[in-house]
Amino acid sequence: MNLTHAANLTWIDWLIMLVYFVFVLGIGFALKRYMRTSNDFFLAGRSIPAWVCGLAFISANLGAQEVIGMGASGAKYGIITSHFYWIGAIPAMCFVGIFMMPFYYGSKARSVPEYLRMRFDEKTRALNAVSFAIMTVFSSGISMYAMALLIQTLGLFHGIIPDQYIFHVSIVLSAVIVLGYIFLGGLTSAIYNEVLQFFLIVAGFAPLVWIGLRNVGGWEGIKQTLPSTMTHSWRGMAHASTNSLGVEWVGLAMGLGFVLSFGYWCTDFLVIQRAMAADSEVSARRVPLIAAIPKMFFPFLVILPGLIAVSVTSNMAGAGQGAGNSATIPHLSQSLTAGSNGTVTGTQPTASNLPLDEAHPHGIIPQKIDPISGSAVLSADGTPVYNYDLAIPVMLLHYFPTGILGLGLTALLASFMSGMAGNVTAFNTVWTYDIYQAYINKRGTDEHYLWMGRMATIGGIVLSIAAAYAATSFNNIMDALQLIFSMVNAPLFATFLLGMFWKRTTGHGAFWGLVSGTFAALLHHGLSLPADATPGIHGAWLHLVHTYPSDMAQNFWTAIFAFTINLVVTAIISMATTPRPESELVGLVYSLTPKPVETHLEWWQKPSTLAIAVLVMLVALNLVFA
Amino acid sequence: MGLDIRIPLGMIFLIIGGIMAVFGLITRGSVDLYSRSLGVNLNLTWGILMFIFGLIMYIAGKRQKWQDDPVTPRPWEREGHKSGH
Repeated sequence: MNLTHAANLTWIDWLIMLVYFVFVLGIGFALKRYMRTSNDFFLAGRSIPAWVCGLAFISANLGAQEVIGMGASGAKYGIITSHFYWIGAIPAMCFVGIFMMPFYYGSKARSVPEYLRMRFDEKTRALNAVSFAIMTVFSSGISMYAMALLIQTLGLFHGIIPDQYIFHVSIVLSAVIVLGYIFLGGLTSAIYNEVLQFFLIVAGFAPLVWIGLRNVGGWEGIKQTLPSTMTHSWRGMAHASTNSLGVEWVGLAMGLGFVLSFGYWCTDFLVIQRAMAADSEVSARRVPLIAAIPKMFFPFLVILPGLIAVSVTSNMAGAGQGAGNSATIPHLSQSLTAGSNGTVTGTQPTASNLPLDEAHPHGIIPQKIDPISGSAVLSADGTPVYNYDLAIPVMLLHYFPTGILGLGLTALLASFMSGMAGNVTAFNTVWTYDIYQAYINKRGTDEHYLWMGRMATIGGIVLSIAAAYAATSFNNIMDALQLIFSMVNAPLFATFLLGMFWKRTTGHGAFWGLVSGTFAALLHHGLSLPADATPGIHGAWLHLVHTYPSDMAQNFWTAIFAFTINLVVTAIISMATTPRPESELVGLVYSLTPKPVETHLEWWQKPSTLAIAVLVMLVALNLVFA
Repeated sequence: MGLDIRIPLGMIFLIIGGIMAVFGLITRGSVDLYSRSLGVNLNLTWGILMFIFGLIMYIAGKRQKWQDDPVTPRPWEREGHKSGH
């Protein structure tokens, strides 16, 4: 445990956290009496207003991966991380609201896999339902693991319970609370808590950013302290070796901006479920668009603290080294060419970290501490390794006095819990409707399925705990999640794109396209490797054919590859098999569905107006931070 | 759903904001405590802001009872919809 960063909490901090937990469970109890049918439990009775669903839509995604991962990337790579929000989410959110929501909501499907059964066939649904269920359990487990690890590292319970039990107690405690409120109030409870969490995150992080910016001299001060590659989101994107992500703009736009982002925001039931809970089709279409507005500004809450953390205190030490940044780039590309020969790959384990760490200051980012020996972790060549995952927690401890510190930690814990809860609610729905009702017990009463939903909630939590302990072998949360997304989500968007917009697409085509897309992702991962990694979990476990400049580039290209294969295979097999009669596809395919009636709406009430406004704001933000 | 989210949302901000503001008021002379936040009494100022936000949400939730609106028949109960399962 890292005692130098142990939190110094007083009773007031605990009191604030306690208030939050009382409310979380209280909402569950208050909603319990409304859970009469499975519809209430799994779909929130389709009666939630658009703005509530919209905030839940982004909150469900705002788990460990966001807050810790984005803060870490902000500290490591700079404002360029905002691409994950700007081109990596907003366009896809506009697309799903305008074009895809009429099919999800209008078809009366209760889940995304169920839409696939309506549009295609049983086997495509089964494949999607099973892979999705596994993925949600993993995501929830990783969230749980990250939370327990953070509590342990910050020493929150230090002196209250013995140190060696902190990790296990944190896991069990978070599991029991999440289980409690979902078991009682189902999706409504999860959505309400996500809204609570959204406002708490803003309330906890806004003063942090404000006080941090004051200290480092505002955005201008950060620009002077950090190398220019960290304060511009588009500079150096022309070539992989001139920006800190190690990706060129084609890979970024196609891989992140198109395949991964559309694959996630347009097909992932975790987020779609929130929109499906809206009270009308127009509301459902507005949900992702409403969500897009705060989403766009979230980089200022979660990425900026990372940048502030590296600008603080040591700005003198860093400024001199910052000039050396341009000199390190040839060094990086040299190591790349060496790596692609396949000869030197293993000898430079930190090739991409090394120039990066030399290039910019570390501010208040602590060194990585080995949890077993308690000493600082050193890379192969003896330089210290910094624990960027602690960027945001360390910021909280650095700037917040007791009192508001309790609020900051509450915000952090809330984000972890919602990340978990979002996955668990998606899991229990897919399990009950798409696996249990579809294949195990078709003739149960609604009461029985409501009971099953509650049992699935318990099962999902137990599996998450198992996944959390399995995740202890992964070091980087982002890497693990990205890897799973690439394999499962990346090919998926091709299936939906063809299914919704090409009436000729058949069930056989969709199924085999999806299978081959996933295999293509596996194969691509097995044959390629990021420049700084050794063959194994990071790739090249079959044979090393191609080396990418960074793991991010590898992820993006894995996704592009999977998507393309799926698109091609689905199209070819669809042409060779018999399509379903057009009359069966009404409401499921774009060309055969009447356009949503909008005549009762003023021009400014229409979802498309909102979408255009969102896109204009997006362009403006990109220009400001280009 | 019979519970307007703005009511619990307002309440949690009223309580947490209130706790912070009172604590900030008591500790307002403490230079030591607020040296971290560059001398700004974040508990008092931010606590008051949160309290005001909570009050607005709470009042808005109490005033507008959208849960009483005739949302029924719900989408799947409407005429012409094939009953699910």
